[in-house]
Amino acid sequence: MENTSPIIETHALTRDFRKTRAVDGLTLSIWPGELFGVVGPDGAGKTTTLRLLAGLLDITSGSAQVAGYDLARYPEAIKRRIGYMAQQFSLYSELSVMENLTFFAELYDVPTDELQERMEQLLAFAGLTEFKDRRAAQLSGGMQKKLALACTLIHQPEILLLDEPTTGVDPVSRREFWDILTDLNLRGSTIIVSTPYMDEADRCMRVGLMYEGRLVVCDTPQQIRAHIEGELIELRPQDWQAAHTLIAALPGVFEVQTYGELLHVLVDSADKRLPEIKIALEEHDLVCRDIRRATPRMEEAFISLIKRIKHLESETEGE
Amino acid sequence: MSFRHLRAVIRKEINHILRDRATFFLVILAPLAMLFIFAYGLTVDIKHVPVAVLDYDHTSTSRSFIQRITEGKDLDLYAYVDTLDKINDLLTQDEIKAAVIIGADFERNLLALRGMPLQIVIDGTEPESGGFAVEQIGGRAEALINELLAARIAGEGQALSLQPIDLHVHALYNPALKPRVDMIPGLISMMLGFPALSVALTLAHEREHGTLEQILVTPVGRAEFLLGKMIPYMIVGLANVIVMPAIARATFHIPFNGSFLLFFLLSIVFLFAILSMGMLIGVFMPTQPAALALSFLIIFFPGFFMTGIFFPITSMPEMMRMEALTMPGTHYAIITRGVFLPGVGLDVLWPYAVMLIGLGIAFTAAAAFFFRKKLG
Repeated sequence: MENTSPIIETHALTRDFRKTRAVDGLTLSIWPGELFGVVGPDGAGKTTTLRLLAGLLDITSGSAQVAGYDLARYPEAIKRRIGYMAQQFSLYSELSVMENLTFFAELYDVPTDELQERMEQLLAFAGLTEFKDRRAAQLSGGMQKKLALACTLIHQPEILLLDEPTTGVDPVSRREFWDILTDLNLRGSTIIVSTPYMDEADRCMRVGLMYEGRLVVCDTPQQIRAHIEGELIELRPQDWQAAHTLIAALPGVFEVQTYGELLHVLVDSADKRLPEIKIALEEHDLVCRDIRRATPRMEEAFISLIKRIKHLESETEGE
Repeated sequence: MSFRHLRAVIRKEINHILRDRATFFLVILAPLAMLFIFAYGLTVDIKHVPVAVLDYDHTSTSRSFIQRITEGKDLDLYAYVDTLDKINDLLTQDEIKAAVIIGADFERNLLALRGMPLQIVIDGTEPESGGFAVEQIGGRAEALINELLAARIAGEGQALSLQPIDLHVHALYNPALKPRVDMIPGLISMMLGFPALSVALTLAHEREHGTLEQILVTPVGRAEFLLGKMIPYMIVGLANVIVMPAIARATFHIPFNGSFLLFFLLSIVFLFAILSMGMLIGVFMPTQPAALALSFLIIFFPGFFMTGIFFPITSMPEMMRMEALTMPGTHYAIITRGVFLPGVGLDVLWPYAVMLIGLGIAFTAAAAFFFRKKLG
């Protein structure tokens, strides 16, 4: 990037609700043209962070600059430069696709002579051209999200803030939506997107993991995967609860994660521990069909990170 | 103030009113339906009250008196009975609403002008019908005495044709003293609470459905948004202002004696005040049920009790009278009644118009002050 100053910069950004601290001392720089993912469990503060950056919530303490403007002092100037998409579907369901687009275009003061062309481009871009007269209420979940995205793009914002845009959308629409995001990013938009899906986090340039209001890790997906200690063994035992207890106690095992009936075991060396686990299972008459070595993904990395944080917290509380 | 923003919000809101069935019903059909229900239900003229008669006198005078009270549509002779117990039974079985007991010396006392041994028993659980029966029977007894007195005076050779009591009551503007004539203009002012309720609901609706969140990130101004939401309901309200007097005239034969133009202009002022009140409710209430409850509490209930539609304001305690003055409906009820019946003009109604403008400005200012472009 030619531009070397961050497009979003926060310093110790904090927001309290009545009893909880939703965002706790967030310090973060996002560069122009970045595709930045915000991940973390429910209640980690992802939505609050995005709402703060969109100027929708007052800051309790700390500061932030968005597109060169101070967030606390010039929220209205920032609003013209960002596109924000809420997690919940928040368009007018009794208006048609075109009427929704026109409504937001007028509120964002899109010049009248450009209006028609921009709307047609966006409709084509979002694959909604043939549905332009349909009421928003009658669109599928995936199409509603694309319409919402089109509405946030109508004023050609420099920054896009997207709060879990693909939650509740079928896998095919999810993929389509991300292809659109990647395309937008390639054209130069800065995108900050929160997601509960780790495969989506993998498509970001950098990812920030939030936990209990704090940004605990912020790095590229490759670096985050490298945080994982050891190697991964995947197995599908019949009695996964008994197998979990047994394997967790074996030597060389760092961590056992469950994914439904699937167990992911992080070990110091897969070559050495895989036969040992097999023997241990046979000794205890635990039947297991598939057992194999696997490549760690973002998902294992995050679960492992959060487990470590929780462990650290319980230790400090114990002191 | 951007005219383009304002127009966008107005257009969106009109589409919402026309396409959302609940809103359409609430702002267009509900006021008319309620006007009919209230007007018919609350102001039924009492007629055909069933009455039993216990006649201890059995004379031609007592029989002609019974004839006199039961002719016409007011009281119906249900039965002649011979015991007090029977009257009790009929009252408790709800067969009659009142009973007349004529004493044994009815004729003798009456002709001697020594009074009238007459007793009326009514069902106190239904004071409306009972009171009506007392009024009717009393009135006819009085008429009978007057006739006898006149006859006596004439019989004594004195050339007097006048009756001893001759009171002429002339009720101005409502000669028949029909309750509807007085209430319907008042009811119209209450029915215009529906557009105000809708304004409160529409803002809460946007908050509930998350559309408000999307609006708040746009550069739309607070005044543009709030005014843009209010204006469509003003238009709907004014449609009601035209239709309701027409209905009042055609269906309930309520005269409209004043200037319609004045009524229309003062209605705009009233709608401004009451819609601002609805907007203020919507600014504070997080959900539609909450907005609905508060609207009923501060728009409709005070409308019943404090605006003087059913109970005169002058008979209220001081505190309540003060509170009534802060209700736009109080002033508008005076305006509607004034324009409909005596047909008064601005020379009389200006203080109420000024109050409405003041309230409207106060409510709008409060709504704009408390409505921030933030969540939470």
